[in-house]
Amino acid sequence: MSFGAWTELIASGLITGGIYALVALGLNLQYGLMRILNIAHGEFLMVGAYLTWMVQTSFGLHPLVMVPVSFVLLAALGLAIHWLCFRRLTATSPNLDVFEARGLMVAFGLMFLVQNAVSWLWGGDLRGYDFLTDPVKFGGAQFAGNKLLVFALALLFAGALIVLLRLTLYGKGVRALMQSPVGAQLVGIDTKRLHPAMFGLGLGLSGVAGCLLSMAYTISPAMGEPYTVTALIVITLGGFGSMGGALAGGLLLGVVEAIGMHYTNPSLKALLSYAVFIGVLLLRPKGLFSK
Amino acid sequence: MTSRQLLIRDLLVLFGLAGWALALPAYGSEFVASLALTCLMYVALSSSWALFCGTSRYLSLATSAFFGIGAYTGALVLDRIAWLPAIALGAAIAVAVAVVMGAAVLHLRGTYFAVLTFGMTELIRHAITYWEKSVTGTVGRVLSVVPERQTVYLTVLGIAVLAVATSIVVRRTRFGLALAGIGADEQRAQTLGVDTRWVKTAGFALTAAFAGAVGAAMSVRWTYIDPHTVFNPFIGFQTVLIALISGALTLWGPLIAAIVFSLLAETLRLQAPQVYLMALGLLLILSVLYLPGGLASIRTDTATGWWRDLRALYSEKRYAWSGGKARDKRREKERRLA
Repeated sequence: MSFGAWTELIASGLITGGIYALVALGLNLQYGLMRILNIAHGEFLMVGAYLTWMVQTSFGLHPLVMVPVSFVLLAALGLAIHWLCFRRLTATSPNLDVFEARGLMVAFGLMFLVQNAVSWLWGGDLRGYDFLTDPVKFGGAQFAGNKLLVFALALLFAGALIVLLRLTLYGKGVRALMQSPVGAQLVGIDTKRLHPAMFGLGLGLSGVAGCLLSMAYTISPAMGEPYTVTALIVITLGGFGSMGGALAGGLLLGVVEAIGMHYTNPSLKALLSYAVFIGVLLLRPKGLFSK
Repeated sequence: MTSRQLLIRDLLVLFGLAGWALALPAYGSEFVASLALTCLMYVALSSSWALFCGTSRYLSLATSAFFGIGAYTGALVLDRIAWLPAIALGAAIAVAVAVVMGAAVLHLRGTYFAVLTFGMTELIRHAITYWEKSVTGTVGRVLSVVPERQTVYLTVLGIAVLAVATSIVVRRTRFGLALAGIGADEQRAQTLGVDTRWVKTAGFALTAAFAGAVGAAMSVRWTYIDPHTVFNPFIGFQTVLIALISGALTLWGPLIAAIVFSLLAETLRLQAPQVYLMALGLLLILSVLYLPGGLASIRTDTATGWWRDLRALYSEKRYAWSGGKARDKRREKERRLA
């Protein structure tokens, strides 16, 4: 294989990896902070993608405009869902184990609800639109313009989230809650404000990911579930609650998948990622990068 | 009622229901019989799921894996061996897979266990899809040797009755008490001398045996199977939903909910499949939020409790909206300043 082909292969892995990382960061925020294993996370990505597609095809709005819009809309949806479901669940569950199991069930219900609502509204067909399809040349390698843009924006958002968590006081509060919920509450961190905000932020990020995905790939109501599973794999790779780990894990998984598919067979992709998932969970349940 | 009277009551109810189900195809139409078959399938699946996962609180999502393994076994061997041995073989292979899977994942609890069993189900499904595509060169299989409709119905009925009878009996054995003990507090059960590893593996294998047998018996109903239909995660989800919505700790809850749900599914799915699934999702959320013990935990005071909560919420809101809270805050401030 020539140098150019190698670059293309690795870059295509990194591009899908960037999306994986963005979805996984949102899920990680929800699981690491609140112990809500939101199995419906990918469905909200699909909602973001459909919103972008609908606005683009019916009003001709530029897809980039939809990035902040879908973030805000999905974050508002997240706040509403937290207020309606998880607030009561936190208040009524006797302990964290029970809360986790019940939260998982609620998330399954949300998955059925959202996925079928979308396929009821817009039908089950594959949809898509053309955006920045001209190839861009770097040295000996060729890339699609939209995919490069998607990668750059995904990295930008993931980086912004990590920097926010590192530098701001709110971020400090979030990290403290992840480290020790009881201790953080003792020093006056308000979980009643932080929990809904972070749930909303997680959904907002998945909305952005969906918006970006719709620029480069076709979309369908069933597209969310594989991304949920991949996000789960990524956060187990990176370690539950570790943000830098999720970013690195996402990029790594993208590259591993791209190389694995090149050498074996594209129909092995799902098999490959599930095998990685189960292997990591059984052998290193605390994540690849844990000490 | 004493424990013995309860046992007799349960067995009598089961006997009556089984007799009714036995007579159903004789006077009902063909559609009714096929509806009853679906009901029986979910009765067997959710009763056997609740038997292990309900009492020990290990949330397994692997039912569709065992179902699919049973279905594939049935499809592969049915043209070579007789009907009942084929079903027994399906159950046996599902048990073998459950023992291997259980050895790997049964030391994990809670969400880890749920997610891992789901992941393994998907792994098995993708592995079989890949194997079919690359080794045998087909996507699905056509079943050429199919027993009579009556035989299939009787077999599934037998499995369902056996599943309910097993859960009646297991509840009163040491094994059932050990499972309940694991569900209440695993460490304490261990301290009291329960071999939790063995009990969990045996319980998981028991669930798998029923799911495998049902899968093997149901595969002939479709006459054409592919991994996507028989390993459909939806079969597993619906089983779990039925057991959880009805109350997985009760004996008759899963049975009643299985009948209600399959009737709903068969009637609504044809006309508006998305609406049915949306309703299912909404029902699941509502039942987890407001009826964590399941439908079977409804008593006369449940509605009264909701009514009391609602009234308390209303009077609190009315106090806030009419300015009561703001007044209290102001007075508190004035008192502090004074």
